[in-house]
Amino acid sequence: MLARTVTHSLVGLDPRRVEVEAHLQRGSPAFAIVGLADRACQEAKERVRSGITSAELEFPVKRITVNLAPAGLRKEGSAFDLPIALAVLAASEQLPARALDGVAAFGELALDGRVRPVPGALVAAEGARRARVEKVVCAADSAPEVALAGVEPIPVRHLAEAVAYLRDGYEPPPVPAPAQTASTPDVPDLVDVRGQERGRRALEIAAAGGHNMLLAGPPGTGKTMLARRLPGILPPLDDEAALEVTRIHSVAGALRPGCGLIRVPPFRAPHHTASAAAVIGGGGRGLRPGEVTLAHRGVLYLDELPEFPRAVLEALRQPLEDGVVSIVRVEGRAIFPARFQLVATMNLCPCGGRGDAAAQCQCTPQRVEHYRERLSRALLDRFDLVLTVPRPRGAELAGPAGESSADVSARVAAARRRLAAAPPPLNDAAAGLLTHACERLPLSGRGRARVARVAAAIAALAGAEAIGSDHVAEALAYRAPREIAP
Amino acid sequence: MNELAAAVFAAESAAHVVDVPRSRRFAEFRRTFDAEAYLRRLAANGLAWVPRGDRRYPPRLDAIHDPPLGLFVRSRQPLEPAPPAVVAIVGARACTPYGADVARTLARDLTRAGALVVSGLARGIDGAAHRGALEAGGTLAVLGCGIDRDYPRAHATLAAAISERGWIVSEYAPGVEPAPWRFPARNRIVAGLADAVVVVEARERSGALITADLALEEGREVLAVPGEVHSHLSRGAHNLLRAGATLVRGAEDVLEVLGVEPVAGPTRPALEGRLERVLAAVAVGACTAEEAASRAAVDIAAAGAALAELEVLGTVTQTEGIYREVMCSAALSGT
Repeated sequence: MLARTVTHSLVGLDPRRVEVEAHLQRGSPAFAIVGLADRACQEAKERVRSGITSAELEFPVKRITVNLAPAGLRKEGSAFDLPIALAVLAASEQLPARALDGVAAFGELALDGRVRPVPGALVAAEGARRARVEKVVCAADSAPEVALAGVEPIPVRHLAEAVAYLRDGYEPPPVPAPAQTASTPDVPDLVDVRGQERGRRALEIAAAGGHNMLLAGPPGTGKTMLARRLPGILPPLDDEAALEVTRIHSVAGALRPGCGLIRVPPFRAPHHTASAAAVIGGGGRGLRPGEVTLAHRGVLYLDELPEFPRAVLEALRQPLEDGVVSIVRVEGRAIFPARFQLVATMNLCPCGGRGDAAAQCQCTPQRVEHYRERLSRALLDRFDLVLTVPRPRGAELAGPAGESSADVSARVAAARRRLAAAPPPLNDAAAGLLTHACERLPLSGRGRARVARVAAAIAALAGAEAIGSDHVAEALAYRAPREIAP
Repeated sequence: MNELAAAVFAAESAAHVVDVPRSRRFAEFRRTFDAEAYLRRLAANGLAWVPRGDRRYPPRLDAIHDPPLGLFVRSRQPLEPAPPAVVAIVGARACTPYGADVARTLARDLTRAGALVVSGLARGIDGAAHRGALEAGGTLAVLGCGIDRDYPRAHATLAAAISERGWIVSEYAPGVEPAPWRFPARNRIVAGLADAVVVVEARERSGALITADLALEEGREVLAVPGEVHSHLSRGAHNLLRAGATLVRGAEDVLEVLGVEPVAGPTRPALEGRLERVLAAVAVGACTAEEAASRAAVDIAAAGAALAELEVLGTVTQTEGIYREVMCSAALSGT
């Protein structure tokens, strides 16, 4: 007897249709899975056997062959458990032959027959939609993701429920739709930042113009505190971006169950000991998205930038330039989106004391130079805003609380709308100042373009028709200072 | 030609120049040494040799108790033996932004007044002094290694600029490696060339203080720039001041000691009111942008814009997030 189910597996961020065929023959009892299945996939045999028995169904005592087609595509993970079990049940006539038509399925089986969620449910469901499959049998926890893809989920908690649905038309209880909360509580608010007016202002400009930002200064001056508050003042993701980000996080298994579409721009902060594969992608086995992709449409935050290995920093140049990363591994080739806003911090010297009069930095000039040379010119050129954050004085910290993220966010959203509608032109006075500055300050052609971009964001924040000389002047204040880019 | 042979022998045998004439191997070396050919090779590399007794040999240096046998010179122009006034500016390598700024403006204003600024091409104060002097004219750098070496490497472009518009000198022939004991020897040349030595920032035990001691021994003037009393980098200079060194507030104080008439620098153009207000806030004392904004009672965006404009005009500098007014000769007028 032969039966067939359809499922979708992931190659990078793309779904691929996989047919699960089960064939029963007479002969000595055996269970074989063929079709380039990895270990997790091979182990499905044991889970399927126990799952079917636990669901009080009969595991056929026959020679069972399961084929995962196309046979040339590598299959990995535990998402094939449920379709394999259903195919085996249909082949042994415990399910009607036509019950599996127009239905896709994925999910991991527990030994007691429960169905567990798997990463990438959103993408697999999108594959089902593209293949014009109307219903997807999946774990109850995966149902909200499947619903996002525009396919009807059949949320099952147990294999027996799936069988009851397919055989008897039993309707499993629906899973409540996730609450669409605009703001999540774990993004910290700017209201907590006291003093630091300059840092706050730079953050607002960076948010308005989508600029990469480098914060330099001694430890404990609030660099990290500022950076963590950037996602809270960025405009929420639109539908298309939200779906894209949710898809990436679904594949990475980083989606919290029941949270719906990700509306807040993601914030990723890999530690400086992270490997190049973890940051860029392709880490572990298979084509996994890295931190740069998880930060897509959000913020990639690199604390202590010079401490990152040179290989990681140089590898960042492709995504910074093109907004994508291409990864080639044995499993194949994938191009992941990686259009993020880079925010980084650094100290002014290896001991961190420089710039803080109380710390009495003992670093020799050679050590300081060596520390700063870890950042290549090409990388520094990607930062539109560079800000040295000196140690705040006591009086500042005792000052009143600052503006809240919500207020700043409103101005940022307005500025983004203006920039998107029509980027403001430079007026004559502004162009004059910019030219004068290029003569007097060490400012390259690229530096000039950066200043002009930042000035455009400042003008948009001010609601000005054109970029004036005061906007250019303020933008000049955020150029890379001599001590960082000599 | 004896001196040249001695200098070259010292370079090749890694001996101390002073010990050379007594060495037996030197007598042998001198017999085979072809001075003419060596000088031609030097000239081909853009280098010159000025022995003691040559009319280009600086008379001030000749007057110290152990003058170098001669000087190797790397420059596009012949060595100026006796400029009207020579000021050495020395200080810490690991200086503060304040020290670097003072050294730079002091050197610039002294050069503008016709003095020659001498220093040791080291990092920190030395480099800042050379850079400041180059803004207004030439400068002279004394190396503690072979004349063909740029040490430290980081100052290679600075050295090229100095040899273009000023002079680089050394008592060491090409090929001599930098060594710790050569730097005090270099300092005696710095002090010997100068009428006055200005110490900008120095720790309690510092090479700059060796230069100041050597200058005192030779009867040259010693001056010092005060710093923050808390900073360990001010201690050396403050100790000198306690011991009677002349306090330096600007180029005028140095020129007064030398008896040179100060030259008024270009006057600062009148500024717009908003710039004037922010400049006045910075002139109170070095400060962050936030402090400047609160002193001038403007918002942070306006303060940032004004500070950047003042930077373009060259009246304010920023290092490590701290803004300070560029020292200006006019600030001392009336004293």
